[in-house]
Amino acid sequence: MSRFSRRDFLITTAGAALASGMAGPALAGLETPKRGGTLIGTWGGFEPQSLFVPPGGGSSPYFTSTKVLERLIRLTVDLKFEPVLAVDIKPSADFKSYTIKLREGVTWHDGNAFTADDVVFNAMQYWKPISAGVSLDALEGAEAADPLTVVLKFKAPVPEFFLKSVLAGKSGLVIPKHIYAGSNIITNPINNAPIGTGPFKVKEWVRGSHVEYLRNEKYWNPGLPYLDRLVIRWWRDPASRAAAFEAGQLDIGTFNPIPMPDIARLTSGGKFIAETKGYSNSAWVTTIEFNQRREIFKKREVRQALMQAIDRQFIADTVFFGRARPSIGAVASSNSIFFTKDVQDYPFDVKKAEKILDAAGFPVKGGSRFKLSLVSAGWFEENIKIGQYVKQAFEDLDITVDLAVPDRATSLKRIYSDYDYDVAISNNSGSVELIPSTTQYYTTDGIVKGAAFRNATGYSNPKLDEIVAKMTVETDEPKRVALAKDFDRLATIEAPLLPMVDLEPVTIVRSDVRNHSATADFMGESWAELWLDR
Amino acid sequence: MNRIVLRRLAQVIPLVLAVIVLNFVLIHLAPGSLFDVMTAEQQISDPAMLDQLRHTYGVDQPTWVQLAKYIWSVMRLDLGFSYRQNAPVLNVIMDQLPATVILMLAATSVALLVGVTAGVLASVRVNTIWDNLISLAAVFFFAAPSFWLGIMMTVLFAVKLGWFPVGGIRTIGAGNGPFADALDVMHHLVLPATALGLFYAATYARVMRASMLEVFRLDFVRTARAKGLSPARVVLAHVMRNALLPIVTLLGLQLGTILGGSVVIEAVFSWPGIGSLLFDSVMSRNFPMVLGVLVLGSLLVAVANATVDLLYLRLDPRIRAR
Repeated sequence: MSRFSRRDFLITTAGAALASGMAGPALAGLETPKRGGTLIGTWGGFEPQSLFVPPGGGSSPYFTSTKVLERLIRLTVDLKFEPVLAVDIKPSADFKSYTIKLREGVTWHDGNAFTADDVVFNAMQYWKPISAGVSLDALEGAEAADPLTVVLKFKAPVPEFFLKSVLAGKSGLVIPKHIYAGSNIITNPINNAPIGTGPFKVKEWVRGSHVEYLRNEKYWNPGLPYLDRLVIRWWRDPASRAAAFEAGQLDIGTFNPIPMPDIARLTSGGKFIAETKGYSNSAWVTTIEFNQRREIFKKREVRQALMQAIDRQFIADTVFFGRARPSIGAVASSNSIFFTKDVQDYPFDVKKAEKILDAAGFPVKGGSRFKLSLVSAGWFEENIKIGQYVKQAFEDLDITVDLAVPDRATSLKRIYSDYDYDVAISNNSGSVELIPSTTQYYTTDGIVKGAAFRNATGYSNPKLDEIVAKMTVETDEPKRVALAKDFDRLATIEAPLLPMVDLEPVTIVRSDVRNHSATADFMGESWAELWLDR
Repeated sequence: MNRIVLRRLAQVIPLVLAVIVLNFVLIHLAPGSLFDVMTAEQQISDPAMLDQLRHTYGVDQPTWVQLAKYIWSVMRLDLGFSYRQNAPVLNVIMDQLPATVILMLAATSVALLVGVTAGVLASVRVNTIWDNLISLAAVFFFAAPSFWLGIMMTVLFAVKLGWFPVGGIRTIGAGNGPFADALDVMHHLVLPATALGLFYAATYARVMRASMLEVFRLDFVRTARAKGLSPARVVLAHVMRNALLPIVTLLGLQLGTILGGSVVIEAVFSWPGIGSLLFDSVMSRNFPMVLGVLVLGSLLVAVANATVDLLYLRLDPRIRAR
């Protein structure tokens, strides 16, 4: 075997591609990595409920499980797919079946071999019914052609980018058949100490404090991981995380680990770097949603007028300290494949908004045009401030606003179960692939009462549904991109809900940590390539 | 003495029942449910899957059936299963209990030691600069938010001076035998126990001072002095012992809350205690976990009350006569 595997080559080129964009950590891709050491990492949230939550469970279990469980492929920071457990994935001519060639010599942490049977089990017992849900509706069957080849069969054509996105996405983790078969996957106790094929093995989880991983000495990629030990530790308080960085007790923190005003102070000495790459496949936005069950918001002009009443640059600058951008359209601007600027824009213009509302039949009567209830979901601290700002902005139009910022459970119930709001402020994180993570907010089949982070506005438009339906089966990539742009244009004009700002999450990292942030969803990457220049 | 213990323990059963029913009702009155939170986090929209989960979590049954089932399982000493943590409730609580108990006992010790000493000193030197300084400090530590105090102590002692670790309970991966481990835990304990202890110490100091001044005026103190006892002996053996009763009352109340931990201090020092667990469980409407902590908490309150009653007897034999 040659000294450099194909994977090493890809990683190095990814690093080089990164380096052209910026100086600093990415240059490290060209240095000789050093083996050994302990890396202590954290993220801007709390401890997970369980180290691995099979149906998803949010960012925290995603962060902890992906160091142990791997996927077939992954998406790099320049949005190219790269092999992990699969060396090749090929569609048939009609795009109704895909042949997956698996990597040889991969073993689970308990010594069993990883084979095609595992992938078949995952496709039919885990991905389709539990993790991927609607994304794999068309999946009909999976079979092992030989121990290293799997064929997935679909009842309709499935676009290549779409399938690969599912496999490289949050729902594509590969779990061991010999452990999960015959059990309830969701409540299997092994989820608190998962067994996978990944570069790190769970050593110990001390609840309330940290999880410790040790290097997998039998990892399929010889030489990796570079680290001997990885520790993910949780602090509940952002200021304490900043203190831990300064005291040298924390090396890397993803997804806004420290208070925004502290970022400049910490990075000014050169000892720490603020990195914004590595989030494009999990693009966070803050949205505003107009409940279509209310007569007022059935009028498109009203929705458009309210969009114009909000100064989104102000939100980005003041609430997020510049770590956000006003959104353009329904697709996040970090999505370099499907994003387009060619959509209706809603510049901040109170006068115009007033005129539209007057014309739409809502003049000021007795000091107020109408009354609305505004629910700002209290799961992010910023939403408190955004709620207060939007209330003021609407009041400037002489609209009476009743603002509520309920806690997480209550927000979920009011917005997604009871539809008990007129205007809601919420968040979502979309993948690069728009179906279903972005489209389900607009399509009719996205309306599922009680299911969160979907179409809660009740908006239904056959024309839009048709575009999305076409996109679902369109296998020609340029045509598919064109359809996505049609979708974006229509959704933006209709504005049942729209992103107000695209968030720009930051990873804070010590400058001697190398090879980080090179994939499209770095937090959910295995971190095998990270190394310490100490 | 046995009667007191028995009487106290007999109160436990209605207390636990009341705790269960009251909190069960409260948590069900709060909008949103564990089911909503779990399915939202897991992004589940498939109706069949939703039904299956409803059944798994037991929320497809009427509320009173859920309550009856819970009471029945507590009677069999089973606190139930937490689907959120995917583990039995008792296991999760027991994982975090030692850290909480260590922190709270250490903080209480700091509070007692500092508070009582400061209170005695202030009362002996009443209306001097000492008294004023102690009162000022007491007001400061009582009023300063503990998260602020915690962060300031971290910045000074952990970041600038590097004397103590920034948080956590142990150095990760260090295992050098029980003695070294104990030292390691104590090293981590200093800052959180002090930050929390100083807050309680403020109350103890003020109560102790007032109580001491009260006792100083009593006849037996004059008698003790007239007997020719040294001032130190008068203060320590006569005044202090009699002034301790209100402190013991306070201590008993505080011991009852130990199981609740301190969410704020745990957050600042990333201390793996019950407080954060309880907080998260309330936020996610995870009622088996909330009830589990509260049931154990009410048992502890009952035990603490019985202990305080026994301590009263020891400190003031007159109570027995009543």
